[in-house]
Amino acid sequence: MIADKEHLAMASVPVQTWGALYDKDEVLAAGTIFKELDMPFFAADHIPAKKGITDPLTEIQKISFILDDLRLYLDTHPDDPDALTLLKRLVKERKGLTVDFAKEHYPLTPDCMADIFEEKPDEMCFCWQEGPAPWEGGNV
Amino acid sequence: MWIYEKRLQYPVKITKTCPKTAQLIISQYGGPDGELSASMRYLAQRYTMPVKSVGGLLTDIGTEELAHMEIICAMVNQLTKDLTVEEAKAAGFDAYYIDHTAGLWPQAASALPFSAVEFQSKGDAITDLTEDLAAEQKARTVYDNLLRMITDPEVREPLKFLRAREIVHFQRFGEALEQTKEKMDAKNYYYINPEFDKKTV
Repeated sequence: MIADKEHLAMASVPVQTWGALYDKDEVLAAGTIFKELDMPFFAADHIPAKKGITDPLTEIQKISFILDDLRLYLDTHPDDPDALTLLKRLVKERKGLTVDFAKEHYPLTPDCMADIFEEKPDEMCFCWQEGPAPWEGGNV
Repeated sequence: MWIYEKRLQYPVKITKTCPKTAQLIISQYGGPDGELSASMRYLAQRYTMPVKSVGGLLTDIGTEELAHMEIICAMVNQLTKDLTVEEAKAAGFDAYYIDHTAGLWPQAASALPFSAVEFQSKGDAITDLTEDLAAEQKARTVYDNLLRMITDPEVREPLKFLRAREIVHFQRFGEALEQTKEKMDAKNYYYINPEFDKKTV
């Protein structure tokens, strides 16, 4: 018996439905926001999850990653109301975090400087002068 | 157009020099199932995808793979930035060192250079999406193998993250294949190539 939507000589993957999500502080360790898609490997079972890291850049990494994973879900579920509600909330939250980060530390993108130039027209930083290079391993 | 954001998708902080580990994980930079290969595959395939949202997904995943390439390169960089000639010799990293010092160059663990021969852009939606499903599985197997072999937790954490992404991408490509099939004739998916025989869709 071939299930509905399945056909001979054709690959088939069931479409995911919206379900339980990890908390913001768990998503990086899980590698996904979706609990159902977290399928660990036995040889990586004992990697201790780093917890309680809340420096400003890590917070941006967490929320940006939730948005990355959410966007891929929306690419294949464009009408999902739960996903859209979360997207709308988090996009705004992320923008606030990146603006704050630019003010307190350094800009992550040239766009982040818009608010700062408005407040401080003499500011010289445009992107690369301040802060470590991303590959150097230092979060602020 | 792409805009660079000055951060990694997943934080990498490796404090111990280990050229041997660098030589293994560099495969996910320039190897046959590496992140560069993944990114180029998806970003090449998107132009002719018949379903618009699938072209969007290929763009988003292709972009994420660029960020994964950056994570792998950051790891190789941190594993080798304080490298001595003696360490390079002892770890069998000497041949790489002669050609690249401690610079980053896309190659496989076996030293084969990065090559577009490792991936396909076939101009047929069913074929390309089936290749993409296989590509995610191949990359997952490489991460499994790396996780079996590498013991440093500072290296294992980002590898575990990258492995998890392969599974999520597999799911999304599967859904993209379903979206593509919905636009085709279920009685015979192979009657036409939806990217080439457009007028007959």
